[in-house]
Amino acid sequence: MTPQLPRLLRLAAFIAVAVVAAPLLSLLWRIPWSELPRLLSTEVVADALVLSLVTSLIAALLALLIGIPIAFQLSRMTGISASTLRAVATLPMVLPPVVGGAALLFAFGRRGLIGETLDNAAGLVLPYTPAGVVIANAFVATPFVVLTIESGLRALDPRYELAAASLGASPLRATLRVVLPMIRSSIVAGAFLAWARALGEFGATITFAGNVPGRTQTLPLAVFVAMEADRDAALAMSLVLVFVSLIVLVCLRDRWWPAK
Amino acid sequence: MNDQLNPLLEGRIVVERGAFKLDVDVSVKQAEIVALVGPNGAGKTTLLEAILGWLPLADGSVLLDGRMLEAHGENKTVPTHEREIGMVFQDGLLFPHLNVMGNIEFGIGTSLTNVSELLGLLEIADLVGRYPKELSAGQRQRVALARTLATAPKMVLLDEPLGALDVTGRAIARKLIGNVLRANGAGALVVTHDPADAFALADRILVLENGHVTQYAPPDQIRTRPATKWVAELVGWNFFEGDGNGSLVNLANGVEIATAHSGLDGPVAVTINPTAVALYTEEPAGSPRNSWHCHVESIEFVADVARVSLVGPFDISADVTRAAVADLGIDTGSAVWASLKATEVGIQLLQG
Repeated sequence: MTPQLPRLLRLAAFIAVAVVAAPLLSLLWRIPWSELPRLLSTEVVADALVLSLVTSLIAALLALLIGIPIAFQLSRMTGISASTLRAVATLPMVLPPVVGGAALLFAFGRRGLIGETLDNAAGLVLPYTPAGVVIANAFVATPFVVLTIESGLRALDPRYELAAASLGASPLRATLRVVLPMIRSSIVAGAFLAWARALGEFGATITFAGNVPGRTQTLPLAVFVAMEADRDAALAMSLVLVFVSLIVLVCLRDRWWPAK
Repeated sequence: MNDQLNPLLEGRIVVERGAFKLDVDVSVKQAEIVALVGPNGAGKTTLLEAILGWLPLADGSVLLDGRMLEAHGENKTVPTHEREIGMVFQDGLLFPHLNVMGNIEFGIGTSLTNVSELLGLLEIADLVGRYPKELSAGQRQRVALARTLATAPKMVLLDEPLGALDVTGRAIARKLIGNVLRANGAGALVVTHDPADAFALADRILVLENGHVTQYAPPDQIRTRPATKWVAELVGWNFFEGDGNGSLVNLANGVEIATAHSGLDGPVAVTINPTAVALYTEEPAGSPRNSWHCHVESIEFVADVARVSLVGPFDISADVTRAAVADLGIDTGSAVWASLKATEVGIQLLQG
């Protein structure tokens, strides 16, 4: 049997849960349930919904693509070099998203370090485009992939790779056929967290991609705008975001940080 | 067992891990099964991992079938997956996301091993669709062996292949593993902590103590001429170190043992088979040499044999029959005379 918590601590936990839940419940309480279908099908909302879904999904894939190699590299490092690389790779998680968006502008903007080259070489312009939304989303979402997958890799017995090698598998084959399948729950967890983070992205997106309805205005941006103009629409969109986030977290259960 | 055969695996393996240093000369002949035994922490698994190329050599080299796999100071090291050495891990280490057939087929590349024959030999043909978590420890172990042998390695390393099994399972698995390894014809190096496994499976036994080989010999020789105290205890023999003096050996505690040897001089090891130690309740008449007045410290019965541990001038064990214990009427604390013929005293010269 699990030992019982002190009564005071249980009381504190109860109050804390209430404090966290109160805003969400207030949101639910204010939602005009009968109006929902109409509110969610206006052009602005529908555009934002579709744009959000598409860009967040692509961003989650991009975050996997960037995050998995970083996680592998990190899992083989120790000491100060590992801590440094991990800090750099996870910085976007703690950085104010607006700062991240500004940094992206300095890198990928028309006058940016990389942006200028991209523009000159391929005519590719990222800021204030849907592709820019994807970049901004992926930027803030990648740390979730890095941390979950690194933790999964560290929890994996390295002798599985030795076993694969002793069966004649090259390091690439061992990685593809043994390591990746064995950490798939970490990959799934990282992907879902990245997706949820991308779906809710606001600061980096508005800074790097702007807020053009139908083009770069994602659901969170549309909520922000609608708070001024059409509160019911804002509530309806908020409900979608709350619902999706909740589903992701419930589905992940304890897979957020796999047990060491 | 067959000295004409060329060595399959040969090398000197030096690995340094902090304060621990492994320095081992190893050679395994074609189709030979070598058991690797030694106390915990002797470096048995380290040796296997170095042969596999998982740990870099601090010195020495490894050759397999005449091909240089790794030599200290040379850049060209053959990576693990190209060494043609298979390893069966202690816990099987099957890939949990693949079923039995998926595991077995994982390594099959260019080899033409007959998998169905292996499945039959190892009695796992009915399990091919199951996942590792649905198998018993013994079944996992046999699948792991099949998985390794399916790649037709030139050399197989087995780390405690029977460790996870109970006594009955061990006996069956030991026989299976022995049969399969012999049918396979590859060389094998088997780590085990159970002397019964080593004696039943191996052509030769390599004893590793504290990073060094202390004895490398066929089972019979290990059994009858244990080179160190640890090996002697492993096979249940009495082992003493002392100073040789003519036909006598003087132990540090003052005990003098008469032997059938002559011209002894310098440090020697004395090995005594416990079945050669006779027990009497009265001081034996006639031959007064090699008889000592002792007390029974404990008596353990294994099947029909009683292992009597004695304390006295020195500690010595005697194996007598269950009936003899009853006839002598001895029990813990009883006074007995232990007696030994000089011809039963084994002597090995120790390096000074």
